[in-house]
Amino acid sequence: MTDTVTASRPAEQQSTRTTRDREFTAFVESAATRLRRSAYLMCRDWHLAQDLTQQTFTKMYVVWNRIRTGTNLDAYSRRVLMNLVFDQQKRRSGSEIVLAEMPDQPDGADGGGAPDLHLTLVDALAQLTVDDRAVLVLRHAEDHSVDTVASILGISVSAAKMRDTRALSRLRSLLGDDFLNH
Amino acid sequence: MDLREHFERAVDDDPGADPAVMAHAAIARGGQVRRRRRQVAGAAGGVLAVLGIVAGLNLPSQAEPAVTVAAAMRPPAAPSCSVDPVQRDATDVAIFLKSDTSGPQQAALASALGNDPRVGTVVFESRSSAYEKFRRLWADNPDFVDAVSPKDLPESFRVRLVDAAQFTALQSDYAAMDGVQDIVGRICLVGAAIGGVQ
Repeated sequence: MTDTVTASRPAEQQSTRTTRDREFTAFVESAATRLRRSAYLMCRDWHLAQDLTQQTFTKMYVVWNRIRTGTNLDAYSRRVLMNLVFDQQKRRSGSEIVLAEMPDQPDGADGGGAPDLHLTLVDALAQLTVDDRAVLVLRHAEDHSVDTVASILGISVSAAKMRDTRALSRLRSLLGDDFLNH
Repeated sequence: MDLREHFERAVDDDPGADPAVMAHAAIARGGQVRRRRRQVAGAAGGVLAVLGIVAGLNLPSQAEPAVTVAAAMRPPAAPSCSVDPVQRDATDVAIFLKSDTSGPQQAALASALGNDPRVGTVVFESRSSAYEKFRRLWADNPDFVDAVSPKDLPESFRVRLVDAAQFTALQSDYAAMDGVQDIVGRICLVGAAIGGVQ
């Protein structure tokens, strides 16, 4: 009896692991693009965005057994990603004298063409604080509810609302009034 | 065009990446971390067993990824406490504040903790006190100490709970309050430093 149990164990573990990895891979496939794009909106650098996304998935795999059921994986992954972005930001501002290369004032905002416009949005985002940027990206690029945004960022709902309003009006003032009314 | 569409356009030069490759890399690297943590957990478990605390211990292999504050800026576990944070049944709790936490936010936290029946003892760890300890801890690495200033170290409330079973509830209550960066719980013996960290 005991023999049977011990003998069947490795096979069981093996199949548990396979199931686990398959589940995880399916999650990565469903989440990777959106996460990378949000990371890009946060850091304006596709290479870094890809790196942060990979780190997010690695961290999630470490605790996958605990989070795979009963956790909102979408929200969890955003939280991990945003924490990585905040860390990154903190390290940069701690170690460099120049905080970030600020883009020139966006003259191109009313210059017409759509290609200019899309550059301008990312540049304008980069001029906001990282906290404000996070709220805008989660709320308006990802379309999460204010409640979800608040829980992802670990702030109160009213704080999330306030930050959103403030950040939107800053964005408007950077990009020109007609930007959001197009 | 609404804001959502503007955001969509802003990412339309996404170079893309193969998600299967990303999953594979995460499994490979994450698996290494997981195995390492299990070894650490084994060692910590041994120490705690000697101390006679084994019941209900949630080992650090399941700990949250510590992604909020640079690890070195964090005070290490106090002697007689679990080396790694636990997710439940913590006897002692350190509530780290954000670097930009305002005076009123801090006062609100102090008063909430002071009036919380789940809280046995609460002590505030100021930035300067944290910095003094940090300097002593890293005395053998003066370059590192020079690179860090008091403002880099988080302020914290150090708490000993009346009942370890209340940790999870307390954690989620205070995590929701403004100014809180994160909350770290440990299992400590009675004589340990309040809050479970040095």
